[in-house]
Amino acid sequence: MSEKGDPKAREARIREALLGFGAERLTSPDPKKSGVALSAVMPGERMLEASEWLLKEGYTLLDLSTCEFQEGFLVSYHLDSFTEPFRLALRVLVKDKEKPVTPSIHPAFQGAEWHERESFDFFGVVFEGNPNLVPLLLPHDLPGPPPLRKDPKALASLDALGILGDGAAKEGGKGKEGGENGV
Amino acid sequence: MELSLLYFVKILVAVLAIIALMVGNAIVMVYVERKAAGFIQRRPGPYEVGPWGTLQAIVDSMKLLAKQIFVPANADYILFFLAPILAFFPVLLLFLPIPFGPYLTSWETPDGIILILAFAGFGVLSNLLGGWASNNKYGVLGAARAVSQSIAYEIPLILALLAVIYQAGTLNLSEIVEAQGSWPWQWNLVCQPLAFFIYLVSLVAETNRAPFDLPEAESELTAGFHTEYSGMGFALFFLAEYANMLLVSFVCATFFLGGYKGPILDGFWWTFIKAYLVMFFIVWIRWTFPRVRFDQLLNINWKWLLPLSLLNLWVTAIVIKVIG
Amino acid sequence: MASSNFNFINPFTFLNVQDSPGTYVGDFYTDNFEKGARAGNVILNLGPQHPSTHGVLRVLVELFGEYVLRSEPVLGYLHRMQEKMGEVKTPYQYLPNMGRVDYLNPIAWNWAFAGAVERLAGLEVPEKAEWLRVVSAELNRISSHLLWWGAFVMDLGGVTPILYAFEEREKINDILQIVTGSRLTYNYFRFGGVGQDADGRFVDLIKDFVPYMRERLKMYKALVTENIIFRRRLEGIGPMGEDICRRYGATGPIMRAAGVMCDTRRLYPYGIYDRFDYDIPTGPTDDCMGRYLVRLEEIKESLRILEQAVRDIPGGPHIVAKAPKPAYKLPAGESYFTVEGARGQVACHIISDGGKTPYRIKLRAPGFSNLSLFAEAAKGTLLADAIAILGSLDLVIPEVDR
Repeated sequence: MSEKGDPKAREARIREALLGFGAERLTSPDPKKSGVALSAVMPGERMLEASEWLLKEGYTLLDLSTCEFQEGFLVSYHLDSFTEPFRLALRVLVKDKEKPVTPSIHPAFQGAEWHERESFDFFGVVFEGNPNLVPLLLPHDLPGPPPLRKDPKALASLDALGILGDGAAKEGGKGKEGGENGV
Repeated sequence: MELSLLYFVKILVAVLAIIALMVGNAIVMVYVERKAAGFIQRRPGPYEVGPWGTLQAIVDSMKLLAKQIFVPANADYILFFLAPILAFFPVLLLFLPIPFGPYLTSWETPDGIILILAFAGFGVLSNLLGGWASNNKYGVLGAARAVSQSIAYEIPLILALLAVIYQAGTLNLSEIVEAQGSWPWQWNLVCQPLAFFIYLVSLVAETNRAPFDLPEAESELTAGFHTEYSGMGFALFFLAEYANMLLVSFVCATFFLGGYKGPILDGFWWTFIKAYLVMFFIVWIRWTFPRVRFDQLLNINWKWLLPLSLLNLWVTAIVIKVIG
Repeated sequence: MASSNFNFINPFTFLNVQDSPGTYVGDFYTDNFEKGARAGNVILNLGPQHPSTHGVLRVLVELFGEYVLRSEPVLGYLHRMQEKMGEVKTPYQYLPNMGRVDYLNPIAWNWAFAGAVERLAGLEVPEKAEWLRVVSAELNRISSHLLWWGAFVMDLGGVTPILYAFEEREKINDILQIVTGSRLTYNYFRFGGVGQDADGRFVDLIKDFVPYMRERLKMYKALVTENIIFRRRLEGIGPMGEDICRRYGATGPIMRAAGVMCDTRRLYPYGIYDRFDYDIPTGPTDDCMGRYLVRLEEIKESLRILEQAVRDIPGGPHIVAKAPKPAYKLPAGESYFTVEGARGQVACHIISDGGKTPYRIKLRAPGFSNLSLFAEAAKGTLLADAIAILGSLDLVIPEVDR
């Protein structure tokens, strides 16, 4: 249970816990500018543990937004606690583009089932452990590649955009380096 | 009873008159119901076809007549067509013993109410067959509901009527009317208020009207037992529904509201006025109340109406024994 | 031609009626659902054309008698690929789509997208525009709740109240038409402001509307809320506690009925909501009745906001002087903007690579998460209760399917 109190202490606790789950590139972007208070890249296999911990902390899964980049599929889990406004964006980078697989967080957040199915529809990302991974919004016999997959030429580089919040892009030219070190 | 040619001619004429009454009633009631619903819902109701929309019902029935009759795949063809016919025609028979006026009874029989109660069971049979034969899951669910609802509510309905029968000491409907006086305080309504109330609730349930319209609950079962019916099949179910409403209203008027007896001058007009007031009551509550749930519907019956009607019957019997 | 149109059933078809169970062929989802069914149970398709699934939702239910043992909503019948459209259109071209995502509460979606773009572009919105946004959003919230109110009572078999609700809805539509120009799928917001300024008539109509609506709410209470049948149908039905809401990500009135004060207007203040004095109603109970009462209370709170808003109207322009041109390119980056819609938290997640069109737009529909909870909540209830639960979730299928 989350006790009300000092937001600083709360943030520190969440940061510490997430680092314990193997989070990388933890950043606190300005919530007024980006809408999230804490952004982190999580290893896919520890995401479920982190979700279970966050559920106990009173968090809920808002949505799961997947996006394709040169580096792979970036799955952003947006989580929020309604007792105190501190929105998290936990990302999982699924690097294998041929067989994108990442564990499901369905055991913790059952609502994730549909969000994961939606990502499976649009990007073909397979969530291992999802109890019913069949198309949700699209027809089951839709031909062709998943519709939100991009043309390889049009793909952007994750680090050039700087959306992982480390400001690499804004400082200019450091994007590539950051990518190699970080993810 | 003398069986003469004249007697059969009389019955034949009566049956034709009853068919005319049923069809005319359906046309009038469709208009009244839609107009009343319109006023209850703060809208004008039908007003395009004919003056004040009076021809709407006729146009509607023309449309239904002209529609294609659709039979779903794997439906039981014979039963599918038998069900609406079975819904409509037995109702004809039920009107025979009703005393519309002092000498205006189609068939004066000593046990008229037995005839009505016995043949009223056909209504639910047709619902069951219609739902079953159309090979539709909503239809089957609606049919199952129709049967359990109708069986449940028949009992308090009969027990409520039985109290009046005890009091009048006859099964003949004309004699039951004769046992009541012309003025409202001489009607059975006054000495049998509980029976009247039980009958009123049961008649709404028996005719499958809202708030007890569970066999055809629109928001749950789309249209219940008549989901697959179109055109004349639907029209016959529709006619039967209004004919059943009219019948229970006439029985209500006869048993509780003094039948053709009324202030100033007795006559058939009083029967009709009373019956249509009851009809209007049924229409009114349909557009006012939400629907009850199915288990609640059965609970109302088995836990409240049935014990109450038994109690009422028991008290009536004791009072009759003591006074009589 | 005439003879071919005449499709009367061949009267001899009954001779070769095939009534074996093998003749029934379900589609992919039915087959998938049937795998877990117990033998002898009925599998029923509620929808996609069903009076109480409000549009084209399809719910597969496994029935044992009238009891719902399992259920699975099947979506996608109204899927319009809004997110893909966001990637091929410029933000300005995409803006009218927001009125179509949720046709009952378009202002919240307008705001979510415009807010996300403004956040990414760093645009400041003038005070008057913020005022207009708050007023139109609250009016829209009331009109959305009103339609829900009518449709919900209709799900329970009461056909009349929806027409009463429409009377008030028409008044709100009249008011919103003055500024937005449309009556249903509003496309009112612009990046950096709103499309049109309000005139005196707009304010006068709101001033008339607030006391009128309060009177009507009393009538609603007498007509529907206190009806014994209605109460018996709702009380104790479909409890959704805080735990289930959190696990499924349900927001809005559903979570508030569970007693959690989750309101984006309060938690992440946007617009000028922090200027107004209003309460966040939380439910007395977490059942269908609680959700019903929470929504009616929300109408009252929205009226309070409107009442305060018309008292003090800021001046100034309704859109920034340097509003983005239609060919505006979003700067590279990411932004996430949440708005409290009538159904819960509406969010828009934009990732831009600095190109002409956004790189990715993700729309968070509250109805999507709210509906995912249905299967668990409806387990073991009666079919009629499942319909009541479905109604109490306040679903708008275009929003769920996007």
